[in-house]
Amino acid sequence: MANLMDIILSTSFGYAVLRVTTPILFATLGALISIKAGVVNISMEGTMLTAALTGVVISAVTGSGLAGLVAAVLAGMLLGLMLAYFALNLKTDIILAAIAINLMASGGTVFALYIISGDRGISSSLASIVLPKVQIPLIHQIPVVGAVLSNHNILTYVALLSVIVVYVLIYKTPLGLRIRAVGENAHAADSVGISVIKTQYIALIMSGAFAGFGGAFMSMGYVSWFSTNMTAGRGFIALAAEALGMGRPFGVLLTSLLFGTADALANALQAFRIPSEFVQMVPYVVTILGLVVYAKRRQSMAQKHKTEDRV
Amino acid sequence: MKKYSSIVLILLLALALTLSGCGSPEPEEPAPADEPSAPAEPGEEAEEDALRVVLLLNGTLGDRSFFDSANAGLEMIEDEFGAEVRTIEMSYDQTRWEPTLWEVSEQDWDIIILGTWQMQEYLQEIAPEFPDNRYIIFDTAVDYSVADLSNVYSILYKQNEGSFLAGALAANVTSSDMELANEQKMIGFLGGMDIPVINDFLVGYIEGALYVDEDVKVYVSYIGGFDDSATGKEMALAQYNAGADIGFNVAGQAGLGQLDAAKEMNKYAIGVDSDQAMVFADSDPEKAELVLTSMLKRVDNSLFRAVEMHLDGTLPYGEAEELGLVEEAIGLANNEFYQNNVSEELRAELAEMADMIANGDITVSSAMGMTTDELNELRDSVRP
Repeated sequence: MANLMDIILSTSFGYAVLRVTTPILFATLGALISIKAGVVNISMEGTMLTAALTGVVISAVTGSGLAGLVAAVLAGMLLGLMLAYFALNLKTDIILAAIAINLMASGGTVFALYIISGDRGISSSLASIVLPKVQIPLIHQIPVVGAVLSNHNILTYVALLSVIVVYVLIYKTPLGLRIRAVGENAHAADSVGISVIKTQYIALIMSGAFAGFGGAFMSMGYVSWFSTNMTAGRGFIALAAEALGMGRPFGVLLTSLLFGTADALANALQAFRIPSEFVQMVPYVVTILGLVVYAKRRQSMAQKHKTEDRV
Repeated sequence: MKKYSSIVLILLLALALTLSGCGSPEPEEPAPADEPSAPAEPGEEAEEDALRVVLLLNGTLGDRSFFDSANAGLEMIEDEFGAEVRTIEMSYDQTRWEPTLWEVSEQDWDIIILGTWQMQEYLQEIAPEFPDNRYIIFDTAVDYSVADLSNVYSILYKQNEGSFLAGALAANVTSSDMELANEQKMIGFLGGMDIPVINDFLVGYIEGALYVDEDVKVYVSYIGGFDDSATGKEMALAQYNAGADIGFNVAGQAGLGQLDAAKEMNKYAIGVDSDQAMVFADSDPEKAELVLTSMLKRVDNSLFRAVEMHLDGTLPYGEAEELGLVEEAIGLANNEFYQNNVSEELRAELAEMADMIANGDITVSSAMGMTTDELNELRDSVRP
């Protein structure tokens, strides 16, 4: 098994971990913001899928990767807005509305793709743009670190920076304070004059924007096309990663990396003749182990402060 | 307010279900493909003797491979025999497959065509209930011992034979001094799932590679599904990083990820089922250049052949047939990229091998009926 260590310690493995983690991290940050505001957004999967298609189509039409990215993020925000309208104005159950968005996205994207390009499974006939890779000047020259950290898709760096942005937003700005207040106790927030609905609207739209980035990465970075249900459950893994990360920006960075590592490991382990079913189980075993740890920690925390009642 | 909102939600859900259910209707078919429960009122009574053929897909069109090929076969049948044809996309929702098959069986069709191992059990249950119906099932065989299935004809493909050629090509490329080939004699295999049909490709691929060069190693990965092309790309990248310079993907849409990986790493790839170079020939010619050929599974040819034999009264219902190179149900894609990028010498060699397989000079083993131990032994013997 010395061979296994060779693979895990190789730079291409480290590089793969960051690449695999990126879409999960975006979706996890999106989920985090919505949950902080007390409105669980489980439509990350469908939102990512819609954004992935939007990015491909707009970049193919305009010939500009940036335009595709902006359109993808806008599409994500639009779905966030839609969810907010259903949940906050029309008072539907937010979980049901989000499920509807997920279902609509899985069929609707195929429908839209067919209308636009005549393809149904994959958008290969559209000459869409892939977002560029970035070499970080100094780090790129450092032998091992450079090979792992540099030359990633630009969105991978955006994802990592977003962790800091979300941290600052939630803990250091007035808006973040309002979001947290609304999420902890909406009535109390209301009584001191915070507009609960407005704050939750903002949180859901931001959550959609992050899912939009994740979707753009899937179709304009990870692979160079849109294909049916290409997000393949990453939006749901994000919900688990959010819960595991205890709803803290740096916590979710770690748990997203954990999921990314488990995934990359599952891919690399195929080189050995370990039964593939076992290897494919790895990410899910990690999820279950993680949830057990999470449940234990929550239990002990709940004993400490009986008041905490996060969704 | 509450009532209004629930109406909106219900509408949204209904819309979502319709959209997710159906893919979209065929342009040349005004009848909606999303209503398998009510298809086929024969409009033209005048054409009473026209052959009526229905194709049930347990998926949707647009996979650029298997189901599209079946549909192409149906179009050939329509053009050639003037048959009245209908394709019903049952989507990937398993709960719809059995009821649709019942429904269609109760209607007045001359031939009902369906495919894949996932439909096999449903057919075994339903076919005996309708002894007057005629069924053709492709890419799997029903178990003729469980019931009276004398009205079912099963088509199996000798994908192992075509994969043998793919393996021989890959082994030649990895040992050659072709531009993108490296020193290591390692080739890749990217499978969808660890199941007999996929392993049948693998067995042929390994044997073909070993036939050319005993020292070739085969790096085998399974994605675990047929739709996640990002994971497919990730696994292909791992193979190329480990030193493979050519890979063969057998994973439907997920396998297309390999082509993206090939472009990123500048290595070669071999497609499957349909001509995957042509998928990208227009939008991304650079990528298409790297797809040396594709191992075609000509579902279209095999369905056409079956219906032709049905009309002649020679189709052996109640039996399973294995079709291979001879019947043109299997073969390598001979497109411009194959001709430009594979040397004439090698192409001649592969053509010769194809002849030898066809007339029995080379016998290729099959994963069908192989025990797990035997399969593991073979896979271990070429482990990098």
